[in-house]
Parts: sequence; C-alpha cells; structure tokens
Amino acid sequence: MKINLKTFVLPFQYNVDKSLEYYKILEKLLNRNEYFVVGKNLIRSDALDKCLGKANFTADYLSKESLIVKVFRSCKSHAIIKNIETSRAMNIPGIEAIITARDIPGINQIGYALPDQPLLNDTKVHYIGDPIALICAQNEEAAQKAEESILIEYEELKSVFDISAALNPDSPLIHTDGNVAVTTKIRKGNIEKGFKNSNVIIEDTYWSPYQEHMCLETDGAYAFPDGTNKITVICESQSPHLVREKVAAILGWKLNQVRIIQALTGGAFGKKDDTGPILAAYAALSAKTLGKPSACIYDRIEMFKTTPKRFPAKFIYKSGADKNGNLTAIQVYITLECGAYANRAPFWLWRQTAHAAGPYEVDNVAVDGRAVYTNNVYGGSFRGFGNLALHFAVEQQIDKLAYELCMDPLDFRLKNVLKVGSRTTCDQILDHSVGIEKCLKSIEDASKWKEKRVPIKNGNTLKGWGIGCAYHGNSTSRSTPDWSAASLLMNIDGSFIYRTGICELGQGSPFGHVKIVAEILGANIESIKIEIPDTDSTPDSKPTHGSRGLMMGGTAAADAAIQLREKIIKIAAEMLDCSLKLVECKESYAYNKENLNKKIPFNEIAEELHIRGLNPGAYGFYASPKRNYDEETGLGINYSVYTFASTIAEVEVDTETGEISVLKIWPSMDVGKAIDPIIIEGQIHGALSQGIGFTLMENVQLHNGNILNPSFKDYIVPSAFDTPEVDDPILIEEAYKHSAFGVKGVGEPSIISIVPAIVNAIYHATGIRFNTLPITAERMHKALKEVKK
Amino acid sequence: MKPLTGFNLVRPRTLQGALTLMATLEKTQPIAGGTDLIPLYREVQCEKTNLIDLSLINELNGITESLNCIVIGSTTTHTQILSNNLVAKHVSALHDSCSVLGSVQIRNRGTIGGNICNASPAADTAPPLLVHNAEVNISNQNNNRWIPLEELFKGPKLTVLQPDELLLKIKIPIDSDSASAFKRLGRRKGFTLSIVNAAAFVKREEGLIQNIRLSIGSVAPTPLRIKKVEEEFLGIEMSKRVLDEIGQACSDQVKPIDDIRGTAEYRRDMSNILIKRALNEAWRRTGGIIE
Repeated sequence: MKINLKTFVLPFQYNVDKSLEYYKILEKLLNRNEYFVVGKNLIRSDALDKCLGKANFTADYLSKESLIVKVFRSCKSHAIIKNIETSRAMNIPGIEAIITARDIPGINQIGYALPDQPLLNDTKVHYIGDPIALICAQNEEAAQKAEESILIEYEELKSVFDISAALNPDSPLIHTDGNVAVTTKIRKGNIEKGFKNSNVIIEDTYWSPYQEHMCLETDGAYAFPDGTNKITVICESQSPHLVREKVAAILGWKLNQVRIIQALTGGAFGKKDDTGPILAAYAALSAKTLGKPSACIYDRIEMFKTTPKRFPAKFIYKSGADKNGNLTAIQVYITLECGAYANRAPFWLWRQTAHAAGPYEVDNVAVDGRAVYTNNVYGGSFRGFGNLALHFAVEQQIDKLAYELCMDPLDFRLKNVLKVGSRTTCDQILDHSVGIEKCLKSIEDASKWKEKRVPIKNGNTLKGWGIGCAYHGNSTSRSTPDWSAASLLMNIDGSFIYRTGICELGQGSPFGHVKIVAEILGANIESIKIEIPDTDSTPDSKPTHGSRGLMMGGTAAADAAIQLREKIIKIAAEMLDCSLKLVECKESYAYNKENLNKKIPFNEIAEELHIRGLNPGAYGFYASPKRNYDEETGLGINYSVYTFASTIAEVEVDTETGEISVLKIWPSMDVGKAIDPIIIEGQIHGALSQGIGFTLMENVQLHNGNILNPSFKDYIVPSAFDTPEVDDPILIEEAYKHSAFGVKGVGEPSIISIVPAIVNAIYHATGIRFNTLPITAERMHKALKEVKK
Repeated sequence: MKPLTGFNLVRPRTLQGALTLMATLEKTQPIAGGTDLIPLYREVQCEKTNLIDLSLINELNGITESLNCIVIGSTTTHTQILSNNLVAKHVSALHDSCSVLGSVQIRNRGTIGGNICNASPAADTAPPLLVHNAEVNISNQNNNRWIPLEELFKGPKLTVLQPDELLLKIKIPIDSDSASAFKRLGRRKGFTLSIVNAAAFVKREEGLIQNIRLSIGSVAPTPLRIKKVEEEFLGIEMSKRVLDEIGQACSDQVKPIDDIRGTAEYRRDMSNILIKRALNEAWRRTGGIIE
C-alpha cells in the first residue's frame, strides 16, 4: 500500500489571476478607511441560544421511534475472523437487524488516505474495538443482550503494540503490504557540510504520546429515510460533503441520494473529521436496510476506547549551529505510530516533515519520515496536526543549542527566525506575511523577559521562564488543490441567508464569515443568518480543518459578498440617482456619500432586484494560489501561507511533590488580520488548557492494546484551577495577500507554541529536560530524586 | 449510552421504614447522593437491586452538638458540613477535606455516610474522621451499636456492615485544645481523586507533642491510622527535625500499590510529604511554630 504522492495531484490548474488581492478589499473596493465590524468584538450570533440551552445538537433531533444502532466490536487486538454467528442475537425480541460486512450494498471501505480500513470487518480485526457488526435494536436493553449473544470465532495472531516491534523484520504484518504505511523525505543543501560548519551539535530523541480530544459532545449520527431512495443524516462532522461522499459509497448510491445536515457540534478538535463519516455510515446503513429512523450515539467510554487519537510520534534530531549562533543543519528521523489504520497518517507525517526545522531558516536539511502500523487504537486528526509534537521536539533542540552557546534562548531565536525573504524547511521563499520576529519582540517586552533570566528558589518551590515558537502552514499542503465556496442570498425583505460548508464546532468560524459579508455589503450583522450546512443546499467549502475555516471559507464568503455588493450598488446608484462611486452602504441602508439625507433601506433594494429580474444570490468561490512540490527532494511551495506564534510561560515546581503549576502565559500570534479579536482570544485560552493538559497530565494508558482510563475520571484534563493567568494576547497583523482582509488561521497555531514554552520553562526552573510527555508530578518527583542522587 | 436497568427505587420517609425494607427486601443497597453508586452501575451491570433512598429521612440529616460531641447524620452533604461552624471550629481537618473533595456539584450531592460506606481507600473524609477518633452508629431493625470508624473498614470497597444494616450517624468528640488539618495530592489541582491524602490531629503543650494522631489514605487497602508513629512521638518536643522524622516514619508504615493514578513508590514518598504538611498546619493552628 505504498502511496504515490502524485496521486494527490488533480490534473487541473486554477485561475487565480484575480485583479483584486483580497487583503486590499477595504481600500480598493469599499473605498473607505474604517471597518464597521471587522476587527471589532461583537456578540456571536449563536451565543444566546447556546447559553440558554436552546441550540440543537445531533441527539436533540432524535425521534422517539428511532432505532438504536450499536456497534459490535472486536475484543482481540489482532485476529483472523473465522466465523460471525448472529442467529442467536437475531432472535432476541427488539432486535430488527444485525448488519455485517456482507450486507453493505456499496463499498465496505472508510479509509481516509489509504484503502486499509473496512467500515465493518469480516476477515480480520486490527485493534481492540475494531467494528464487526451493527446491532439495530428497538431499545438499549435488547441491543445490550444482542451484544452479549453475537459469537465470533477468531484465530488469534501475534499483536504488535509499539513501533519498534512493528519495524522488526520478524514482526507480524498488520496490513498486507507491510507495517510501514507511508514514507516522506526532504533533502535541502548539504547536511554533511552543514554539520562540518557547526560548532555545537545537539542530538536527542523525543516521544510524543497519544492524546484524546475529550470533546464535550460525544460522537453521534441520526439517519432517516426520505422515501425509498434517499437518506438524510443529521450528524456531527467537520466536512458534510466528505461525509456525503463516504456514506454514498458505502450505500452504493449517488451523491444526490444522500443528504447530510451538519448539526451544531459540541467540540471537534479534528476528531469529528474522522468519526463523522463513520457514524453517519452506521446510522445510514441501518436506515437504508430497515427503512426506519436510526441513531448511533456513542457514550464516553466507547468514544474514548475506539475513536482516533493524536498520533504518537518519535523524533530523532541532530541540530547544529555555528559559534555566532546561526543554525547550520538539521537531520531528523520521524517515526509516526499509525495504530491500526493509516487514516490521516500520510498528511500528518508530511506536515511534520515539512515543518521539521521549526520557524527558522536552516540551509541544510535532511528529513526522513515513516508511518508505522501497530495494533493500538488508530491515530487521527487533532488540533496542531503533527506540529504540536514536532515543535515539542524542535523547540527543545533550539533551546538546548542556545544554552550550549550561552546565548539567551530568545535572542538565539530572533537571530534565526524566518523573515520576509527567508526560506522554509522546504525551501519555500516567504515573500510576505511573516510575523514571528514581531511576535517574539512583543512578548519579550510584555513579559520583561530580560529580567527573568535567573530561576527563583523559594522554600520548596522553583520558578522559571521558558519560550516556545511555532509556525503552521494554513490548510492543505503540497500541490493538493485547495478551494472553498459559499453562497449568499438576499431575501425580498432585505435579510440574508449565508451558506457555508465550514462547520460551527464551537470555534465561531462561520460567524467570522458573516462579519466579512456584513463588512463588504454594509449590511446589519443581525440581518444575516447562517444556515446550518446541508449538502442539499450548501456549497462544498471543503473541510473545517487545517485552520482553513476562516482563511479559505471566509475568503469564499468575501467573493460572494463582493458579487452581491456590485448588484446592490448598481441598483442603489440608480435609485439614489448618483454615480456608483458615491454609493456607500451601512447598517443595511444605501446612501449617497455626498447627500446623507437620502437613504434607501435594503428591503427596497431587494424588492427592486427581484422586480428587475436580477439574481438576488451569489455563489462565492475561492481557490488557493497554485503550489508545487518536488517528489524527489520534498522541496517546493508547500503551504500558501503560515501562521506564526510565540509564547512565554512562567512555571513553578514543587520540589517535594513534583507538582508543576503554570503561573502565567504571555501569548502572541501573527494572525494576518484579526476579524474578531475576542474569538481569537477564546482560541488561545482554550488552546492553553489543551496544551497544559498534553504537557502535564493527559495520559492515555494502554496495556496490550487496552485503554485503561477511558473516562473523565481517570483521563485527567486540566480544570479551572490548573489554568494560569493569561496576559492580553498580542495579535500581530501581517496581512496575507490572498485572503479576505488578510486573515490567517488561528485554531491550531494557538496551541503549538504553548507546549514547548512550558517544557522549556520547566528546564529553566529545574535544569531537567523531559523528552516525553506528560510531565506528571510523579515523573517530575522521580526526576528530582535522581538529580539529588 | 449504557442503560441503567433492573432497579427498584424505594424512598422510605422514616428510619424505621428504611430498616424494615433493609430487613425484608432482597438485594438491597442504600443510596443517598449516588455520586459513587451511579457511575459504578454504569460501569458494572448490576441486576435487580432494590435501591433504598435515604434522602427523605429527616433524622439522618444534619449536624448537632451533644455531650461534648459533634454528631453528623449520614446523609449530611459535604456542602452542609463545609458551611457548619462547629465543624470549622473543632474538626478543621474535616472542614479542609470537604472544601477540596470532588467538585461543587459532587459536594452538593455527595454525603459523608456515602463517602465512608463506599470504603474507598482514597475517601477524602476518612483520614480527618480517623484522626478525630470518630465513631459510627450502625443499626438494623433490632440492634443498634457504636463502633470506632477504624473498625468499619475491611478492605477496598468493603465494610463490616451486614446486608440489613445502615450507618446512621457519625460522632466526633470535641477536644477544644487541639487542632487538625488535612492535605491531599491529586493529578490536577481540583475536581479529582486523591493519589494520597493525609490528616493530622495534634495537641500542644508549649513545644511538646501532648497528643498526636495521624492518618493517611490511598496507601493501603483501607485508610490507615499510623498508631505506631503516634506512640513513638508522644511527649516529644516538636522541631523541624522531628517533623521530618515523623514523615519518614509514616512512609515506612504505609503499604501502597501501583495503579493508574500513581505508583507505590510515589505514594510512599508523598505519604511522608503530606503528613508533614498536615501536621505542620495543625501545629500552626494550635498557635505553635516549628523551627
């Protein structure tokens, strides 16, 4: 199953020669120098309903007569299925059907990057929890009895629970083509020469473990038949159109026979990009087979034990610098643990490979990556997408080099960070929108960094300060086509319906789109309603992942708004009897800039549009500038733009108990343009908790493929008490030329620099380096004990 | 979502009614706040249980003072204890533990009787009650007896309670010249189970330890009273060195295990640290200073 990366390249070119660079909308198009809503903190349109509990999530849509779809799963980590016996279970009252692989009308395949993952397994199981059958029951009790009555005859195979065992030549094969699912490579400059010119070389190995997302809303999907040849599924996902594609393939239907409605989603963090299609397919299979509404809703334990987690990864780093503090070369080996299926591993691994130098300029680079199967639960999308683990490693390497050179870690970074004109890991020249230097300088001042270079001992506590930097390519990588779409409809009363396939997951991205639309139209923000994504009417905006929701989706929104604005202005100019240039729109009124007395409300313009037979709608489409990628060297224009971030952390270590407290955080991020600063602040605060969790406490405990702590009781995530003081986030605005108002993504970049900042602060306080996470109180205590010896 | 099935919930309004139900029904299980039982039933399927809800019985709820003792009814919630002045004044270790136990929601529902009868080695109210020499009142339809709390615990999740017996109240002697304190360590700063917890009770005569009682939780099958160490240090003059010796001696007495919350080695080390911190705080509360 070796993957040829060229298969990701679609054979068409984009037309991106737009006369308008989107970041200049304000001056070039709107012809004004002030924003009405962009950059202002407004109350989100979904806030009140969510606060009042009136917002509807997937499980709120279930009808009383809905069947329960329960997944029957493997209790073996690696085994051949010899026989599946369901007749006893079928006889239990209340059981309507038991669906196995042979009942799937279409293609029994749900793998994301590689076709290695059947929706239901009938020949082999690859991890504890691998799905085998769907129990469709009238009630929970019957479903539970049926679960106990299905008999599977297994022929057990030897299991492999870690990457080194999987890479052993004698290892059993988890999938037919070998245990290495995919490899990556970068060759830039000459690393031998680079290391020869190094005065300091740091070599170390890092391990970044699994992390569970702990979304508050557990996975769920509700499907119901729409006549005999169509199914509607209400579900959580991060890409309703991907869900539609997968469900249609499994049902053996055309895309227009499947309708996916994206319910508001209570937390996703990448998880639901992976689970969305799977649960939707389960529910849809039952609804199609039985012609009855069917729901598949996981509880916390099932979600925890069986769904993808942050991919674990091992990094072997060799980094060099000369005596002047210039980075000279890096050599990196990355081994990603896929778990039972590749899922997103090729993309995850590539992101790590492509960012391997960190946000620094290094002339000589060699990176080799491979993704390896094991019989553990499989990995998947998670905020940071490989870059969290990568920066945990690279930012410690940078810190170690700085200390080795007796340089201030911040000064060392400033000397090496990417600037306009720098080349990235992949030799991509950055010609604009590079704000990392400004990020660093701003938090250096805000935190009074220079005054904090000596750790403080006070009784049994040690206090220290650390810094972390991050960069994160927005959206998809290499030459993968990237585009987004949106539609906008002006109703006859002057209100608007806005449609985007970018999903509301709690992060607020669609509200950012609405602000962009309101800004361009001059419409009252309350007059624009966001329709929840519905594949029957919503254009395909591509997924809500890769920090692309606002950067890509919001620019498609701008495209639609610009088109509709032209029509509104045209009508208004005639109605106001003035030239196009003199028309300004504000608060859903059009007026003549030189004669403010005459105003025309949008409802009159809407009516006029309809009367004249002009289309009151607009379809926005936006494609990313063309990128390229050389398969031999891995070099090329990888991402159209990068978001940069840096964080300073203050930590305190209790030397008796090993407890680590993060006391204060100074965050900064180059966001391109802050469409809504308070939403960005929200992202930073949430990321901070998730980052502290990953660094200090979250720990998926696995024993022979079994997860031992699959609940909030024993999988410890940070509480409010663990949340530090956060200094006002510093938002740097180095606009990106090709996005609406210059916006860049913030969802993922907000978490990446937090982890190394804390880890480096712990080193500053204690002199102890940790190459694996989490750094629990117990591990810290043990490390301190060893130092004392 | 796994259904909770097979239950029969009975809600007696009188203690006599509850005891009669306990004596006559098959497979009974008393329930009050349900904060331990309901999650347990979600994890482990229990069939055909008669849940006897004690929360409507007035005489089991509340805190009173009688014969120089504080008496706490078994269905008294942690929040009720937390807001009680008698407890704050005379049983400060219990007040401490109720302020950090679980979360606000858990403290509003969870009861002290439930926390004890659940018999978790990590129960946060156990070490404070143990160092205050608490006794518990146990009753069935025919007999009523008082036993020291220490004798209630038989092992993890095991007590000496017979199938027809209920724990009615807890009695804590008031000793006004004493002070106590509680410390715990969790895997985060709040809303979590203790890896280790500890309570110390002390009476001070000038610089001498006139009386000392120590208890550590989550380091053995039951919460432990560390009597050997108590006896050893009775009458000794308190100092930093003595405090260290007490901590060390306590960690030699515990018998912890490895589990997903922590290793035996860490628990042993933390027994030392937490008992010292609890004792130091209790000593401070008596007005003493350890130098």
